[in-house]
Amino acid sequence: MPNHFLGVEGACVSFGKRDAQVRALRGVSQFFERGTLSLVMGPSGSGKTTLLSLLGCLLSPDEGIVFVDGVAVNGLSEAERTGVRQKKISFVFQAFRLFHSLSAIDNVALGFELRDPTVPGRMEMARDLLVRFGLGEKLNQEPYELSPGEKQRVAIARALAGNPPILLADEPTASLDAQAGRSICQLLRSQVDDEGRTVVVVTHDPRWQEFADRTINLCDGQVEQEEKKP
Amino acid sequence: MKLAWQNVVHDRARFSVTVLGVSFAVFLMVFQGSLLTGFLQAASRLIDASDSDIWITARGVQAFEFGTPIEGRIREMAAGVPGVLETSRVCMAFAVYRTPNGKQQVVALVGADSNVGKRFPVPNAPGFAYGMSPDAVLYDVSDRDLIQVTAMPAEVEVNRHRASIERQIDGYGAFLGVPFLFTSYRNATRYMGFGPEEAMYILLRVDRAYSISDVQQNLRQRLPEVDVLTRDEFERKSRTYWTIKTGAGGAILTAAVLGFLIGLVVVSQTVYANTMENIEEYATLKALGASQMFVARIVLTQALICGALGSVLGLLAVVPCIGYAKSLIPWIYTPWWLLLVMVLPSLAMCSMASIASVRSALTVEPGRVFRA
Repeated sequence: MPNHFLGVEGACVSFGKRDAQVRALRGVSQFFERGTLSLVMGPSGSGKTTLLSLLGCLLSPDEGIVFVDGVAVNGLSEAERTGVRQKKISFVFQAFRLFHSLSAIDNVALGFELRDPTVPGRMEMARDLLVRFGLGEKLNQEPYELSPGEKQRVAIARALAGNPPILLADEPTASLDAQAGRSICQLLRSQVDDEGRTVVVVTHDPRWQEFADRTINLCDGQVEQEEKKP
Repeated sequence: MKLAWQNVVHDRARFSVTVLGVSFAVFLMVFQGSLLTGFLQAASRLIDASDSDIWITARGVQAFEFGTPIEGRIREMAAGVPGVLETSRVCMAFAVYRTPNGKQQVVALVGADSNVGKRFPVPNAPGFAYGMSPDAVLYDVSDRDLIQVTAMPAEVEVNRHRASIERQIDGYGAFLGVPFLFTSYRNATRYMGFGPEEAMYILLRVDRAYSISDVQQNLRQRLPEVDVLTRDEFERKSRTYWTIKTGAGGAILTAAVLGFLIGLVVVSQTVYANTMENIEEYATLKALGASQMFVARIVLTQALICGALGSVLGLLAVVPCIGYAKSLIPWIYTPWWLLLVMVLPSLAMCSMASIASVRSALTVEPGRVFRA
């Protein structure tokens, strides 16, 4: 009996039509256990980001089932899938995707607001989170004033606002230097170890393997290889 | 909604252009609205100033300024109708006025009986009469340059009759570009060459024990050769003539609508450009779990912020400008409610302007967040 906390079963996804059709995923079945850090690796066009989009309720499969927190989400309406993202899933992006007009603290406070518009003390919670991430001096800086590593820390803080159980990261260290990249790897690992979050990272970066519980290699929309740490 | 505010003010140049666009639209709408309101008031000012309930005019008279003679005996006939308490007469005709220094000027000469109404400018009426001769002539202070009187009383000529300008009044300035002169009915008919058997407007006050419409119906039956109108009806008729039939109101209204459209285009353009520039952020918001309502609210709030600030700026600019314009267009009038009411179309304008932007923000695919 597979653990259906987070995963896809027999997922097929195609883009385009007729001759231009690209089969991004071909019957992929993968499940991610609660409280683990999993890597999804593979060459460009192998279907990594498509898999992440399915897990993040940003895309529906042509065939197959997507499970989030043990519930099949395929049949849900767009509004219901937005609700699932709001409550359970968060994202970290390669390009950070911070709101350019907001300061670091406002970006994180907005993360809290998006999770629960009624929650009081958003600014205080955002401040605490940023201080914990070593950004206490940068609270009121706008994104353009931050280094890439700092931007990614703010983005992770925003993603963790409201305490979502699932964190999906797309190439989170691709834009960072070695030191900043390693620090982000440690930060996400600590989220698994200390907070029990489930983290799925799509990456080309081999540095991640040291921090991961499991690595899935995709090729041409299929699972080519799967490694699990003992 | 901090995001909405920050998005708007972050690009100061664009924000300034948007706010200026809205303020220009508000300025134009309030200015044109003031012209229209003042024009409507001026078109029926003398009718409003009478205390009468019913006006009797020649058949087909469209506006106060274009009265034609009726038989004088109609006054006696109307006075005999049950419910008619009091009658008075008003006449108006264009006349040639010769200034004290010999220059000629066309004027609109208005004559009225002293009982026509307390607000009606008649030299022999109670409130106006003090210190004036019964044949005195009054003019509006805004027409000083046209009347060219330096000291009062001043001997002038009206249709080659001697007349005495004795006082300035306020609020009855030139509406047709021709200054009004006010005098007694007796005097006016003399200047106009009216015979005693002629009249122009016969005004009736109705006993409160009678219904005005019943008296009007009775008069219509007895006097089929003239028009019998309530004061409100004659007011409306005059206003309709000047604003619709002459096209003047249409021109003013068109300018106001143009102001609205200019504002709409400016705000649409800038709000849309702002939305498209930030479209990736809307995708991020949606990926992070923002509802459609939340996204729409941000775009709409941005437009409304521009609308509110633009309205305030527009109102701050238009009030002194209208004050200055009063010296050139004495009948321009801005009621206090116009200033408040004009904020609504400007906010509506901004809301309409944001429709395309809201659509774009709502239809953006959250899945695009993974594109680097």
